[in-house]
Amino acid sequence: MNSSDAVREGLIPLLPRLRRLARALAGQAADADDLVQIVLERALARAAQWRPDAALDKWVFAIARNAWRDELRARGRSQHLFAPEEAGEMAADRASAQPAQQLELAMALAALPPDHREVVALVLVEGMSYGEAAELLEVPVGTVTSRLARARATLQAHLGKDA
Amino acid sequence: MNPIDDDTLQAYVDGELDAASAARIDVALVHDEVLARRVRQARAVRAQLHAAFDPVLDEPVPARLSALLQPRSMQAAIPATPLVMPAGRHGTGTPRRRTARRWFVPGAALAASVALLAVALWWWLPGGDLVRMQGGQPFAAGALNRALDRVLASEPDADAPVAIGLSFRGNDGRICRTFVLRSPPAQAGLACHESAGWALPVLGAAPPPEGGELRQAASALPPAVQAAVDARLHGNVFDARQERAARDAGWR
Repeated sequence: MNSSDAVREGLIPLLPRLRRLARALAGQAADADDLVQIVLERALARAAQWRPDAALDKWVFAIARNAWRDELRARGRSQHLFAPEEAGEMAADRASAQPAQQLELAMALAALPPDHREVVALVLVEGMSYGEAAELLEVPVGTVTSRLARARATLQAHLGKDA
Repeated sequence: MNPIDDDTLQAYVDGELDAASAARIDVALVHDEVLARRVRQARAVRAQLHAAFDPVLDEPVPARLSALLQPRSMQAAIPATPLVMPAGRHGTGTPRRRTARRWFVPGAALAASVALLAVALWWWLPGGDLVRMQGGQPFAAGALNRALDRVLASEPDADAPVAIGLSFRGNDGRICRTFVLRSPPAQAGLACHESAGWALPVLGAAPPPEGGELRQAASALPPAVQAAVDARLHGNVFDARQERAARDAGWR
């Protein structure tokens, strides 16, 4: 089996986790799947760079994070999905506690700076260790820790007082 | 004992502490209510994030993504991505491959899209997708789509999760229907039929029903939805016969 086939086959079981990570990074479902599409295309194009002794999930998650960052840079300009008045209509009242809390959290996550959002996505959503996240992000572990602490404080403020 | 700083507490919650340090916190937790509360709050963030994102793991993977991972020999037979018509009025009528499009939306627009995501997520949570995104626009899915396709306001089904209100042909020629989701939190909206399905130009929280009973769907519309109806409506709303005829004609 050549490396391309190995990557192709290895990615299939990773798709659900990759989609979850992309959702945490990109927010909207459609946007997240567009990101996943970019990641899969890149991963297949670079399959020769993957060494079989390296974990495929971490390799492809790194591609995902970098692709997300590339898009952030490339699409830095404002693009309006919805007219503001429409946005007001979308922001419906929230009545029941549990989903409302999750929605608050999703909105708070989307509002985090990218440095914080990616740490939350990798550590709290994907479940990487601080060390794994630090390696993927190419920053010291202490940086992961401090970014995560600040992100957590922000998100926590959006949960109930005594969650 | 030294106070436990936030980084240490966080590392404890995330399972990053060595056994001895973790044990020290385990002991402190027994009698330190403030510390226990901080631990609960830190855990809650993680738990809520999982509650928000783990359902993605159980979603079916879109065919356009899984198709990318088919062996090359099979890709000839399977389009890598679904064929869709180009967006609306600019279209040439020629199908094109869907390509990964813009997906980053900064600032206020991001907040707006997240607000939409929030509403959409909410609808998804109770089981089964009621809203799907296509080209950045929400469309009815699942039970909502089925109800819009089949249910007649003249023959209401009290057990259906969706109540249909008005049906009418809008001033752009498309047939639109108002609806209210019965399961709380009640959401109401306007759906307009187009080739891709029931587009949802407006979604909003429905006013709470009076007297504990769901009122007639059409009378329970939030102002935003009512305004959208008023903006599109010219002529009359369908009567029972017209509504049935429209259904039989596939809402075209």
